[in-house]
Amino acid sequence: MSAYRDKDPRIHGIQSKIRVVPNFPKPGIMFQDITTLLLDPKAFKDTVDLFVERYKGKNISVVAGIEARGFIFGPPIALEIGAKFVPLRKPKKLPGRVISEEYELEYGRDCLEMHLGAVEPGEQALVVDDLIATGGTLCAAMKLLERVGADVVECACVIELPDLKGRERLNGKPLYVLLESH
Amino acid sequence: MQRALIFSSSNPIYSQLSTTIAPPDSAVFPKRDGGWIGPFSSNQPPVFRLRNYKRTLLPPLCSASDSVANQPTMASQDEQDPRISKISSAIRVIPNFPKPGIMFQDITTLLLDTKAFRDTIDLFVERYRGKDISVVAGIEARGFIFGPPIALAIGAKFVPMRKPNKLPGEVISEEYSLEYGTDKMEMHVGAVQAGERALVIDDLIATGGTLCAAIRLLERVGVHVVECACVIELPELKGRDRLGDKPLFVLVSST
Repeated sequence: MSAYRDKDPRIHGIQSKIRVVPNFPKPGIMFQDITTLLLDPKAFKDTVDLFVERYKGKNISVVAGIEARGFIFGPPIALEIGAKFVPLRKPKKLPGRVISEEYELEYGRDCLEMHLGAVEPGEQALVVDDLIATGGTLCAAMKLLERVGADVVECACVIELPDLKGRERLNGKPLYVLLESH
Repeated sequence: MQRALIFSSSNPIYSQLSTTIAPPDSAVFPKRDGGWIGPFSSNQPPVFRLRNYKRTLLPPLCSASDSVANQPTMASQDEQDPRISKISSAIRVIPNFPKPGIMFQDITTLLLDTKAFRDTIDLFVERYRGKDISVVAGIEARGFIFGPPIALAIGAKFVPMRKPNKLPGEVISEEYSLEYGTDKMEMHVGAVQAGERALVIDDLIATGGTLCAAIRLLERVGVHVVECACVIELPELKGRDRLGDKPLFVLVSST
């Protein structure tokens, strides 16, 4: 489900603020740059509001944000809906005890970590990132939360690249995005 | 561990009191006893075992007129906002991370305490709202957690300051020293305009090297950095001095 299809009047303003940078980080990739969205206080606020309106009052106690751009969108949402914010990080960034989940990249593997004790069994969680491409990172994030007994209610991203079929990779978990880019 | 709880503003006299040379970047803390954290559950505040714990307020180092100009909502320099102690106690200390001898100040436990996280943001917002600040620059990655909520509340844009090769498009870079070698910080060209008024946000100031690099990036494009704002200061590492004439505002000072 996406707000784009719902035609919320704020969506057009948000979409117009996202900059596409060709051939980054490598030739052939059209990079969806959200930093230009962050330079427009109204559009940035509208982005956060759209998520908050969806999730407020739904008994969600955890917002997990994926390093690093998930750290930009996750905390404002968490603060507004009264949830805790849990950073999901690249290896060796979090101090103390962590659990790790490996996932596939195009070439090789990467790893996502979460603090032990940050999330209790039975808590309802959102996973937030700026964009979903293949869904590999979001999948790893969901697995981390489920391994400690949390219930992932939904994944939420500003942008989806539907041609990369990330939605299918989420094992039936719902995905909510504001914009699609083909 | 001794943790002084302060609610301080810029401190022009402080730098004059310091007579030692600034330590190298990433200087290792002196080892000390006490102040370690046991296994932690999100339903309880972190457990501290402290030796000689003393709650001290730093002596007021600003003149009375400075404190009125900088903190119109504060009654006096050495009164502490009641929200501060909960914020401080929500921060977890991890010994020997990332390497032996370092007592790492972990703000992730603060983010699990919804009221304390809210209060942290509110304290910054109350200070900066209505001060004609149009830019909040946040330093990757933990500055990305505190910067955006502040920016949204005061109506400023958020500008991420990033490690090399993360920002797409045209960037400017600033190199800075580490204990061994150098690192680089980048900002997008065109994100900020000359004459804008900016804050620089990070979770913690240690030696001040990273904050300094951020200030330089902004000043190179003609931005006026009004203040640097961090949740935590490690005063023994004298980062405040490294910022020169730039004011620093912190919520918690940890020695």
